[in-house]
Amino acid sequence: MRSLTMKSCVALLAVLLLPAQAARAGDARLLLPDFQSLESKASETVSITLDPSLIAMAARFLDANKPEDAAVRKAISGITGIYVRSYTFDADFAYPKADVDGVRKQLSAPGWQQLMQVHSRKEHNDVDIYIRVDGSKANGLAIIASERREFTIVNIVGSIDLQKLHELEGHFGIPDLQLEQKK
Amino acid sequence: MSPDFENELREALRAVDPEDGFAERVRRRIASETRMRRRWLSARWAPEALAASVLVAVLGVYGWEQRRERQGLEARQQLIEALRVTGEKLDLAYRGVQDASRPASADDAGA
Repeated sequence: MRSLTMKSCVALLAVLLLPAQAARAGDARLLLPDFQSLESKASETVSITLDPSLIAMAARFLDANKPEDAAVRKAISGITGIYVRSYTFDADFAYPKADVDGVRKQLSAPGWQQLMQVHSRKEHNDVDIYIRVDGSKANGLAIIASERREFTIVNIVGSIDLQKLHELEGHFGIPDLQLEQKK
Repeated sequence: MSPDFENELREALRAVDPEDGFAERVRRRIASETRMRRRWLSARWAPEALAASVLVAVLGVYGWEQRRERQGLEARQQLIEALRVTGEKLDLAYRGVQDASRPASADDAGA
Protein backbone atom coordinates (compact mmCIF):
# COMPACT_ATOMS: atom_id res chain seq x y z
CA MET A 1 0.00 0.00 0.00
CA ARG A 2 2.82 2.28 0.98
CA SER A 3 4.75 1.56 -2.23
CA LEU A 4 1.57 2.13 -4.22
CA THR A 5 1.20 5.59 -2.68
CA MET A 6 4.85 6.26 -3.40
CA LYS A 7 4.38 5.19 -7.03
CA SER A 8 1.35 7.46 -7.34
CA CYS A 9 3.36 10.38 -6.01
CA VAL A 10 6.17 9.71 -8.46
CA ALA A 11 3.67 9.39 -11.34
CA LEU A 12 1.97 12.63 -10.29
CA LEU A 13 5.34 14.37 -10.08
CA ALA A 14 6.24 13.08 -13.54
CA VAL A 15 2.96 14.42 -14.96
CA LEU A 16 3.57 17.78 -13.31
CA LEU A 17 7.10 17.95 -14.68
CA LEU A 18 6.08 17.05 -18.23
CA PRO A 19 5.24 20.60 -19.35
CA ALA A 20 8.61 21.81 -18.07
CA GLN A 21 10.36 19.04 -20.01
CA ALA A 22 8.38 19.92 -23.14
CA ALA A 23 9.22 23.60 -22.76
CA ARG A 24 12.90 22.71 -22.65
CA ALA A 25 12.60 20.39 -25.63
CA GLY A 26 13.55 23.16 -28.04
CA ASP A 27 16.62 24.03 -26.04
CA ALA A 28 19.95 22.33 -26.62
CA ARG A 29 21.34 23.70 -23.38
CA LEU A 30 21.48 21.15 -20.61
CA LEU A 31 20.75 21.95 -17.00
CA LEU A 32 24.08 21.11 -15.46
CA PRO A 33 23.97 20.29 -11.74
CA ASP A 34 25.83 22.49 -9.29
CA PHE A 35 28.60 19.89 -8.70
CA GLN A 36 29.75 21.86 -5.64
CA SER A 37 30.39 18.66 -3.72
CA LEU A 38 32.65 17.49 -6.55
CA GLU A 39 34.62 20.71 -6.58
CA SER A 40 35.73 20.16 -3.00
CA LYS A 41 36.82 16.57 -3.76
CA ALA A 42 38.45 17.21 -7.13
CA SER A 43 42.15 17.82 -7.51
CA GLU A 44 41.51 19.77 -10.71
CA THR A 45 38.35 21.52 -11.83
CA VAL A 46 37.47 23.05 -15.17
CA SER A 47 34.23 24.97 -15.21
CA ILE A 48 33.56 26.97 -18.34
CA THR A 49 30.38 28.83 -19.14
CA LEU A 50 30.44 30.71 -22.41
CA ASP A 51 27.14 32.30 -23.33
CA PRO A 52 26.54 34.07 -26.68
CA SER A 53 27.90 37.40 -25.44
CA LEU A 54 31.11 35.83 -24.09
CA ILE A 55 31.60 33.83 -27.30
CA ALA A 56 31.21 37.03 -29.31
CA MET A 57 33.67 38.77 -26.99
CA ALA A 58 36.18 35.92 -27.30
CA ALA A 59 35.80 35.98 -31.10
CA ARG A 60 36.80 39.66 -31.12
CA PHE A 61 40.09 38.67 -29.51
CA LEU A 62 40.92 36.08 -32.13
CA ASP A 63 43.38 37.40 -34.65
CA ALA A 64 42.06 36.76 -38.16
CA ASN A 65 45.63 36.95 -39.49
CA LYS A 66 46.80 34.00 -37.40
CA PRO A 67 45.82 30.67 -38.97
CA GLU A 68 45.08 29.01 -35.59
CA ASP A 69 42.85 31.86 -34.48
CA ALA A 70 41.12 31.90 -37.86
CA ALA A 71 40.41 28.17 -37.49
CA VAL A 72 38.90 28.75 -34.04
CA ARG A 73 36.76 31.52 -35.50
CA LYS A 74 35.52 29.12 -38.17
CA ALA A 75 34.89 26.38 -35.61
CA ILE A 76 32.76 28.60 -33.39
CA SER A 77 30.70 30.23 -36.12
CA GLY A 78 27.16 29.07 -35.45
CA ILE A 79 27.86 28.18 -31.82
CA THR A 80 25.86 30.13 -29.27
CA GLY A 81 26.97 28.48 -26.06
CA ILE A 82 29.69 26.23 -24.67
CA TYR A 83 29.42 24.74 -21.21
CA VAL A 84 32.15 22.50 -19.83
CA ARG A 85 32.44 20.86 -16.42
CA SER A 86 35.44 18.64 -15.88
CA TYR A 87 36.71 17.20 -12.61
CA THR A 88 39.87 15.25 -12.01
CA PHE A 89 40.30 13.23 -8.83
CA ASP A 90 43.21 11.64 -7.02
CA ALA A 91 41.21 8.48 -6.29
CA ASP A 92 39.35 6.11 -8.62
CA PHE A 93 35.62 6.76 -9.18
CA ALA A 94 35.39 9.45 -6.52
CA TYR A 95 32.39 11.04 -8.23
CA PRO A 96 28.81 9.98 -7.57
CA LYS A 97 27.15 8.19 -10.51
CA ALA A 98 23.85 9.90 -9.67
CA ASP A 99 25.13 13.27 -10.91
CA VAL A 100 26.17 11.71 -14.22
CA ASP A 101 22.85 9.90 -14.55
CA GLY A 102 20.97 13.13 -13.85
CA VAL A 103 22.57 14.72 -16.91
CA ARG A 104 22.13 11.54 -19.00
CA LYS A 105 18.40 11.62 -18.22
CA GLN A 106 18.09 15.04 -19.86
CA LEU A 107 19.53 13.56 -23.01
CA SER A 108 16.63 11.14 -23.29
CA ALA A 109 14.37 14.12 -24.01
CA PRO A 110 12.94 14.40 -27.53
CA GLY A 111 15.35 15.89 -30.02
CA TRP A 112 18.51 14.36 -28.58
CA GLN A 113 20.04 11.42 -30.41
CA GLN A 114 22.89 9.26 -29.26
CA LEU A 115 25.62 9.52 -31.85
CA MET A 116 28.17 7.32 -30.18
CA GLN A 117 28.54 5.24 -27.05
CA VAL A 118 31.97 3.99 -26.22
CA HIS A 119 32.57 1.72 -23.27
CA SER A 120 36.03 0.47 -22.52
CA ARG A 121 36.12 -2.16 -19.80
CA LYS A 122 39.89 -2.24 -19.89
CA GLU A 123 40.35 1.49 -19.45
CA HIS A 124 37.14 1.98 -17.45
CA ASN A 125 36.08 4.72 -19.83
CA ASP A 126 32.54 5.55 -20.84
CA VAL A 127 32.03 8.20 -23.48
CA ASP A 128 28.58 9.10 -24.73
CA ILE A 129 28.15 11.58 -27.54
CA TYR A 130 24.74 13.01 -28.28
CA ILE A 131 23.54 15.47 -30.87
CA ARG A 132 20.39 17.47 -30.79
CA VAL A 133 18.56 17.58 -34.08
CA ASP A 134 15.97 20.20 -34.90
CA GLY A 135 14.38 19.24 -38.20
CA SER A 136 17.35 18.31 -40.35
CA LYS A 137 19.75 20.60 -38.55
CA ALA A 138 22.01 19.65 -35.64
CA ASN A 139 21.86 22.42 -33.09
CA GLY A 140 23.50 20.91 -30.08
CA LEU A 141 26.17 18.50 -28.93
CA ALA A 142 26.68 16.81 -25.59
CA ILE A 143 29.59 14.68 -24.47
CA ILE A 144 29.60 12.80 -21.19
CA ALA A 145 32.89 11.15 -20.42
CA SER A 146 33.35 9.13 -17.25
CA GLU A 147 36.85 7.91 -16.71
CA ARG A 148 38.52 6.26 -13.75
CA ARG A 149 39.67 9.55 -12.26
CA GLU A 150 37.95 12.10 -14.43
CA PHE A 151 34.43 13.10 -15.16
CA THR A 152 33.59 15.55 -17.95
CA ILE A 153 30.46 17.03 -19.43
CA VAL A 154 30.59 19.17 -22.55
CA ASN A 155 27.49 20.87 -23.87
CA ILE A 156 27.70 22.89 -27.06
CA VAL A 157 24.67 24.86 -28.17
CA GLY A 158 24.40 25.75 -31.84
CA SER A 159 25.73 24.04 -34.91
CA ILE A 160 29.14 22.46 -34.54
CA ASP A 161 31.09 21.17 -37.46
CA LEU A 162 33.47 18.42 -36.37
CA GLN A 163 35.44 18.97 -39.56
CA LYS A 164 36.15 22.54 -38.45
CA LEU A 165 37.18 21.26 -35.04
CA HIS A 166 39.44 18.81 -36.83
CA GLU A 167 41.26 21.78 -38.38
CA LEU A 168 42.19 22.83 -34.85
CA GLU A 169 43.96 19.63 -33.95
CA GLY A 170 47.55 20.02 -33.02
CA HIS A 171 46.93 23.61 -31.97
CA PHE A 172 46.12 24.95 -28.50
CA GLY A 173 46.62 21.46 -27.03
CA ILE A 174 43.74 19.97 -29.05
CA PRO A 175 44.66 16.36 -29.79
CA ASP A 176 44.73 14.73 -33.21
CA LEU A 177 41.19 13.48 -33.74
CA GLN A 178 42.31 11.12 -36.54
CA LEU A 179 39.18 11.87 -38.54
CA GLU A 180 41.17 11.17 -41.70
CA GLN A 181 41.05 7.43 -40.98
CA LYS A 182 37.27 7.54 -40.72
CA LYS A 183 36.76 9.00 -44.17
CA MET B 1 30.54 133.10 12.98
CA SER B 2 27.89 135.28 11.38
CA PRO B 3 24.26 134.23 11.57
CA ASP B 4 24.02 134.30 7.73
CA PHE B 5 26.78 131.79 7.33
CA GLU B 6 25.20 129.59 9.98
CA ASN B 7 21.88 129.65 8.13
CA GLU B 8 23.57 128.82 4.82
CA LEU B 9 25.35 125.87 6.41
CA ARG B 10 22.15 124.58 7.99
CA GLU B 11 20.38 124.93 4.65
CA ALA B 12 23.13 123.01 2.86
CA LEU B 13 23.21 120.13 5.40
CA ARG B 14 19.47 119.66 5.79
CA ALA B 15 18.12 116.16 5.46
CA VAL B 16 16.85 115.43 1.97
CA ASP B 17 14.57 112.44 1.09
CA PRO B 18 15.99 110.21 -1.73
CA GLU B 19 14.29 110.09 -5.09
CA ASP B 20 11.66 107.43 -5.72
CA GLY B 21 13.17 103.98 -6.57
CA PHE B 22 16.56 104.79 -5.01
CA ALA B 23 16.47 101.74 -2.69
CA GLU B 24 15.44 99.47 -5.59
CA ARG B 25 18.34 100.75 -7.73
CA VAL B 26 20.83 100.08 -4.89
CA ARG B 27 19.53 96.52 -4.43
CA ARG B 28 19.76 95.87 -8.18
CA ARG B 29 23.31 97.11 -8.33
CA ILE B 30 24.42 94.95 -5.40
CA ALA B 31 22.85 91.89 -7.03
CA SER B 32 24.52 92.61 -10.37
CA GLU B 33 27.95 93.07 -8.72
CA THR B 34 27.57 89.76 -6.85
CA ARG B 35 26.68 88.02 -10.10
CA MET B 36 29.69 89.49 -11.86
CA ARG B 37 32.00 88.44 -9.02
CA ARG B 38 30.64 84.88 -9.15
CA ARG B 39 31.02 84.76 -12.93
CA TRP B 40 34.60 85.93 -12.63
CA LEU B 41 35.35 83.27 -10.01
CA SER B 42 33.79 80.50 -12.08
CA ALA B 43 35.55 81.65 -15.24
CA ARG B 44 38.85 81.61 -13.37
CA TRP B 45 38.58 77.89 -12.46
CA ALA B 46 36.96 76.79 -15.70
CA PRO B 47 40.14 75.55 -17.47
CA GLU B 48 41.22 73.50 -14.44
CA ALA B 49 37.73 72.08 -14.05
CA LEU B 50 37.62 71.23 -17.74
CA ALA B 51 41.07 69.63 -17.65
CA ALA B 52 40.11 67.60 -14.57
CA SER B 53 36.90 66.44 -16.25
CA VAL B 54 38.76 65.43 -19.40
CA LEU B 55 41.36 63.58 -17.30
CA VAL B 56 38.67 61.72 -15.36
CA ALA B 57 36.90 60.84 -18.63
CA VAL B 58 40.13 59.62 -20.27
CA LEU B 59 41.05 57.54 -17.20
CA GLY B 60 37.52 56.14 -17.13
CA VAL B 61 37.61 55.13 -20.79
CA TYR B 62 41.13 53.68 -20.38
CA GLY B 63 40.06 51.68 -17.33
CA TRP B 64 36.95 50.44 -19.14
CA GLU B 65 39.01 49.40 -22.18
CA GLN B 66 41.55 47.64 -19.96
CA ARG B 67 38.79 45.76 -18.18
CA ARG B 68 37.13 44.92 -21.50
CA GLU B 69 40.41 43.64 -22.91
CA ARG B 70 41.08 41.55 -19.82
CA GLN B 71 37.57 40.04 -20.05
CA GLY B 72 38.01 39.42 -23.78
CA LEU B 73 41.35 37.67 -23.34
CA GLU B 74 39.90 35.63 -20.50
CA ALA B 75 36.92 34.65 -22.70
CA ARG B 76 39.32 33.71 -25.50
CA GLN B 77 41.34 31.57 -23.10
CA GLN B 78 38.18 29.87 -21.84
CA LEU B 79 36.99 29.25 -25.39
CA ILE B 80 40.27 27.59 -26.34
CA GLU B 81 40.23 25.54 -23.13
CA ALA B 82 36.64 24.44 -23.86
CA LEU B 83 37.61 23.40 -27.41
CA ARG B 84 40.65 21.57 -26.03
CA VAL B 85 38.52 19.58 -23.55
CA THR B 86 35.97 18.85 -26.32
CA GLY B 87 38.73 17.66 -28.66
CA GLU B 88 40.26 15.55 -25.90
CA LYS B 89 36.97 13.76 -25.17
CA LEU B 90 36.19 13.24 -28.86
CA ASP B 91 39.66 11.76 -29.17
CA LEU B 92 38.93 9.46 -26.24
CA ALA B 93 35.75 8.27 -28.00
CA TYR B 94 37.54 7.71 -31.32
CA ARG B 95 40.33 5.80 -29.59
CA GLY B 96 37.69 3.65 -27.87
CA VAL B 97 36.08 2.88 -31.24
CA GLN B 98 39.45 2.02 -32.76
CA ASP B 99 40.34 -0.25 -29.84
CA ALA B 100 37.00 -1.99 -30.16
CA SER B 101 37.43 -2.56 -33.88
CA ARG B 102 40.81 -4.24 -33.34
CA PRO B 103 40.13 -8.01 -33.42
CA ALA B 104 42.98 -8.97 -31.10
CA SER B 105 41.81 -6.73 -28.29
CA ALA B 106 38.10 -7.24 -28.82
CA ASP B 107 37.84 -9.05 -25.48
CA ASP B 108 38.85 -6.09 -23.36
CA ALA B 109 37.14 -3.20 -25.11
CA GLY B 110 33.73 -2.71 -26.62
CA ALA B 111 31.78 0.08 -28.31
